[in-house]
Amino acid sequence: MFTKKNDERIKFVLLIFILLFLIIFFKIVYVQVFSYDKLSNLSDDLWSRELPISAARGKILDRNGKVLADNITITSLIIIPNQIKEPEKVAKTLSDILNTDYDDMYKHVTKKTSIERIHPEGRGLSFSVADKINSYNFEGVYLVKEAKRYYPNGNMLSHVLGYTGIDNQGLSGVELLYDDYLTGEDGAIKYYSDAKGNKLDMAEVYTEPEAGLDVMLTVDFDIQTSIERELDNIVTSFSPDHALAVAMNPNTGEILAMSSRPDFDPNNYKNYSKETLNRNLPIWMTYEPGSTFKIITTAAAVEEGVVNLEKDEFYDSGSVTVSGAKLRCWKAGGHGHQTMLQVFENSCNPGFVKMGFSLGKEKLFNYIDLFGFGDKTGIDLNGEGKGIIFDVDDVKDLELATTAFGQGVSVTPIQQITAVSSIVNGGNLYKPYIMKSILDSKTNNVYLEKNKEFVKKTVSKNTSNILKMALESVVAKGGGKVTYIDGYRVGGKTGTAQKVENGHYLDNNYIMSFMAVLPSNDPEIVLYLAIDNPKKTALLSSYTTTPYVRKILLDIINIMDIQKQKMQKEKDYEWMDKKYFEVPNVIGMTKDEAKKHLSLFDITYVGDGDIVVDQTPSANTRYYETGTIKLLMGNR
Amino acid sequence: MLKNKRLILFIVMTLLILIGLLMIFSSSYIWADYKFGDSLKYVKQQLIFVIIGFLILYIIMKLNSDFFYKYSKYFLIISFILLGLVLIPGVGVVRNGSRSWFGIGSFGIQPSEAMKIAIIIFTAKYLSLKRNVYKKFSTIVPVIIIMGLAFLLIMLQPDFGTGVILVMSVVAVLFTAGVNMKYFYMFGLIGVVGAVVLILIAPYRLDRITSFLNPWSDPLGTGFQIIQSLYAIGPGGLLGFGFLGSRQKHFYLPEPQTDFIFSIICEEFGIFGALLVIVLFAILIIMIIKLALDEENMFKKYVIFGLGFQIIFQAILNLSVVIGLIPVTGVTLPFISYGGSSLLVTMVSMGIILNLSKRND
Repeated sequence: MFTKKNDERIKFVLLIFILLFLIIFFKIVYVQVFSYDKLSNLSDDLWSRELPISAARGKILDRNGKVLADNITITSLIIIPNQIKEPEKVAKTLSDILNTDYDDMYKHVTKKTSIERIHPEGRGLSFSVADKINSYNFEGVYLVKEAKRYYPNGNMLSHVLGYTGIDNQGLSGVELLYDDYLTGEDGAIKYYSDAKGNKLDMAEVYTEPEAGLDVMLTVDFDIQTSIERELDNIVTSFSPDHALAVAMNPNTGEILAMSSRPDFDPNNYKNYSKETLNRNLPIWMTYEPGSTFKIITTAAAVEEGVVNLEKDEFYDSGSVTVSGAKLRCWKAGGHGHQTMLQVFENSCNPGFVKMGFSLGKEKLFNYIDLFGFGDKTGIDLNGEGKGIIFDVDDVKDLELATTAFGQGVSVTPIQQITAVSSIVNGGNLYKPYIMKSILDSKTNNVYLEKNKEFVKKTVSKNTSNILKMALESVVAKGGGKVTYIDGYRVGGKTGTAQKVENGHYLDNNYIMSFMAVLPSNDPEIVLYLAIDNPKKTALLSSYTTTPYVRKILLDIINIMDIQKQKMQKEKDYEWMDKKYFEVPNVIGMTKDEAKKHLSLFDITYVGDGDIVVDQTPSANTRYYETGTIKLLMGNR
Repeated sequence: MLKNKRLILFIVMTLLILIGLLMIFSSSYIWADYKFGDSLKYVKQQLIFVIIGFLILYIIMKLNSDFFYKYSKYFLIISFILLGLVLIPGVGVVRNGSRSWFGIGSFGIQPSEAMKIAIIIFTAKYLSLKRNVYKKFSTIVPVIIIMGLAFLLIMLQPDFGTGVILVMSVVAVLFTAGVNMKYFYMFGLIGVVGAVVLILIAPYRLDRITSFLNPWSDPLGTGFQIIQSLYAIGPGGLLGFGFLGSRQKHFYLPEPQTDFIFSIICEEFGIFGALLVIVLFAILIIMIIKLALDEENMFKKYVIFGLGFQIIFQAILNLSVVIGLIPVTGVTLPFISYGGSSLLVTMVSMGIILNLSKRND
């Protein structure tokens, strides 16, 4: 009977044991089935080591897809110290091949870390060096292919593009601003190892790096090339403190070209000073614009109806006295009697003082504000300046007078070109921008596309037309004559501003600038160029900036395939200028008839016969007086 | 000679030992090659112990059944002397932080293991003589005192796992002997208080508990072993990586052939491997319990039950640790884990069980 009680308790213990076994089994099922994914992932991280392969950054392209920032594949050395069997030998060999210090290399090779990189000697190895390292076949020494940023065009567009650091991260410019898009997803070679770092005999897993997205800019490679070339020429000729140029599509706000000097080579950005790297002058630099600002004053005056350019007249005696200060015209003795259009053509300061007073300070400063001066334009680039505009309450007559001809205010080039663009495009101010779209070059999927952004209305269509006429007039008859291109309606305005330092105007230190519009009747491009303190030159923008502007405009005509325009304003010829005339059609005429029609030109004849079979240049082109026309003669 | 339940018992034991040899090879050859340049080092040593173990098993089975009853007092006294001696520095050898070994070359003997068996035999004899009387607490006081003393000596080494097995097996025997339940409630209370005291004395034990609750709180310290064990078991999944396919044995899991050999079994053979081992242990205990139930002689009944309890309780402790159910206690998996002393003592126990159950089969 008593044994029975014993046996019951023994059975009870058995029951508990079986229960415990069941619990244990269920826990194992839980761990192996329900925690399987989590634990597999965690342990996979534990067992595997990754040799990182840095992904290529997205490319930066011009508006036509030309590559501005590219990637090159480089070979880098990676060391896995745990796998190295003979650290002394490996360190010795590697330091010999790479020409580095043995002790440093030994430290790398024996470092307590899973993966060690050798900066910078172990990066970007040449093929022969990589091959040599490879030939030793050391365990724990790996060569991996990596993508590195490369700027194929050197200094070109450097401030806009910016540059990237050692880990392919964007540090400035577009590289920084659109870093998230440009950055790719790094890949890896995953291999399995034991806890001591030795490679296990299991298949490696290769994760392909994924390149970042491409950024397409509004910039046109060819126009950019042209302004870069001319800026280089300017630097060579004048050794200025700074020089800059911007080209904009006035109908959208797209930046077509932007550059400045000094610039830098983003491939070797470390060789340049911080100032050079950080200052993208066309958006950062603020200075008194000088006469290019008269476009703003004139637009305001025309819009307000206080001036009629062709009918109103003004007598310039050479100076005007405002609040006791004598403001001189740049031309000694003055321009005498002029229409207001001539005042604009001649950039006659006293005439603009009058225009300023006709407007009054409230209205003038309202327009300055309306055109966006004193505020960032909001272009998608870092480091934009705001400029300084008088507080309208502090403006007295003298300030009003100087502001009217562009002294006393401080503005950025991008503000000016944005404002002028709105004046010549019919009165619509667009926000300037440089990123056109973000796309995947493999699939051509466009992820993001930027379109023109209308900000506000500035002037009426009528005012716009009058200003376009006035700007063309400056080139045909005024200070912009050098930029006159026969057959193409070029509008423009010169600017020569004395520089200020600590509240005083500097002697013989000017910023010469030019604002050009092409074609002036239906603008496709606005170009602004400025040279800060050119040496060894006449101190007038009419002579300094204009030849370079003309060369750029000629390039642009080709690049943008701008068609010839009719009804071009005839140039006011000076004695040294070549005059251009339209060549008549003489094909089919006899020699004598042709001679009569071509009286303005020289003629050479090719071939025998009495009848003109062909002519060069062809009919209706414009050709300079006394130029030679070739006529191919034949028989009927 | 062996029939029915005893034959099944013997076969199951042999199967477990064979599984052990295979898994000791699979889990240890990496470490063995690294440490000794001989990937078979551990499996060869274990094989020697297996052979010795079967010899001892045979000898014990041949002994007269009265042998254990007669000399129970001497086993106990010898075991106490050995337990005392092993604490003396220079005599006892420290392994894995505990002074619990007599070292003979690379082989070691743990007197605490001998005490486990001796105290069961002693208790069984004592209780079998005191039939019906131990409803009074005073009757079982001598057993409690001896058990307490043995536990104390073992904890001085310290070897918590063996100590717990010893106490629990004696308590289990007292329980089956019919001691009034209220005393067990008291034991329970003392146990809780004792555990608190032990934790206060050695705070590392608390670390073990917290690391068991959340091993990832200290992945490189106290949680290390559990995490490494789970990294072996989890990815094993249903079918495992196959024999020799474990990754955790590549230096991730320290000494995978000892306490954590079961995680390598799970990693290489998945749920089915784990189930096989658990089922074998379950059959083992069912057979032992059946033999105990069949036995009329109270001494034999208690010894068979007590020794069987120890083996299975140790197995459950080990499995629970490996799968993260309880904190790390540091006990091996009977028959399977590498370790000569542990295997020999387990086979001595099996020998005694097979011996005492002879007549009933």
